[in-house]
Amino acid sequence: MARRHPDEGPHLESGIEQTLDLDLARQAQEGDESAFAEIVRRFSPRVFSVASRFFRERSQVEDAAQETFLKAYTQLGSFEGRGSMEGWLTRIATNTCLNMLRGSKRRPELTVSDLSDDETGWMDQQLSEAASERSFENNVVAADLADRLLGTLSPEDQQTLLMIDGENASIKEVAEATGWSESKVKVRAFRARRKVRETMEKLLSYRGKQVSK
Amino acid sequence: MKEKHIIEVIDNVSLASLSKLELDEVRGHARECDPCGAAFEAAQLSAFVIKERAHVKIEPSPFFHTRVLAAVREQRTVESAPAFLRLWSSARALVSSMAVATIALAVLTFVFPEPTTALPEQTASIDVAEMAIFDQGDEQLNYEQVLSAIYEDEDEAR
Repeated sequence: MARRHPDEGPHLESGIEQTLDLDLARQAQEGDESAFAEIVRRFSPRVFSVASRFFRERSQVEDAAQETFLKAYTQLGSFEGRGSMEGWLTRIATNTCLNMLRGSKRRPELTVSDLSDDETGWMDQQLSEAASERSFENNVVAADLADRLLGTLSPEDQQTLLMIDGENASIKEVAEATGWSESKVKVRAFRARRKVRETMEKLLSYRGKQVSK
Repeated sequence: MKEKHIIEVIDNVSLASLSKLELDEVRGHARECDPCGAAFEAAQLSAFVIKERAHVKIEPSPFFHTRVLAAVREQRTVESAPAFLRLWSSARALVSSMAVATIALAVLTFVFPEPTTALPEQTASIDVAEMAIFDQGDEQLNYEQVLSAIYEDEDEAR
């Protein structure tokens, strides 16, 4: 029996998986509903995860995920099995969510008056504690505040920053998920990070003055 | 890094990707430089709230795949219907309302013709009054003469 190279395992597994994905795609394209149901069952957690980056409400996430699978169904013929089906669906989901968000309004600037009482309270708490002693509690409020900060960015910049700073994705992974070049991803990440940091700095400075009064 | 401002560094990469050594250097500089200190504090809080936002994930409901399959079936049904039927199903309401409006206009035009009013008679008396005024040539009529010219014509019309 031939000895398997230690590195061969994951490659072999991904190869088998890609063949399975391709078979499923072909069967679904030929009208086998159970094959498409299997695709939806297997990849809906991933598609929901992508849509959750863009939307907070369940109904919006479900609409985006459904739209993604409908698009995938009509484009099954274009899936050639060169990459994974997960990657292919991730890209469709990303583009679907970006298209859904493009029509929505964004707030170019964020001021303290836009924040809720909980959010200003959370910021005041952070300001009153030394940086090393911060407990970072009330994470729901923190996520809400993040939504407000991200709302000042374009959907593309939001997506980039959430993936890199939020999910520790690499520049290459973002480029693969979106279809952008790596340099474009870097520029977007830099621009988004700076904008969010500057907005936060302004909010903190304003709240700092209020707290010290 | 102590002499160099760190704002560019903290905007360029995520704080989580900095090594411990780099982070110590950033902290060291931030302690001594006020603008960099404020920027670093804001960057730390921003990084934290974005991490928290990234943790918010909505899981698919157990019925989600049923919903998608129903949508796929509906899409297939729509695609398999002939083009005329698809066009008709989307334009049915518009075509029906246009047909009703056309019929209503036709009924109003042909069944109920426009009623004749007393307007031409009034117009005639006005014309006569004007003629009475202008036919006098250079001779100026007084107010009573004008009134009598108008009412004479109206009496004749009756």
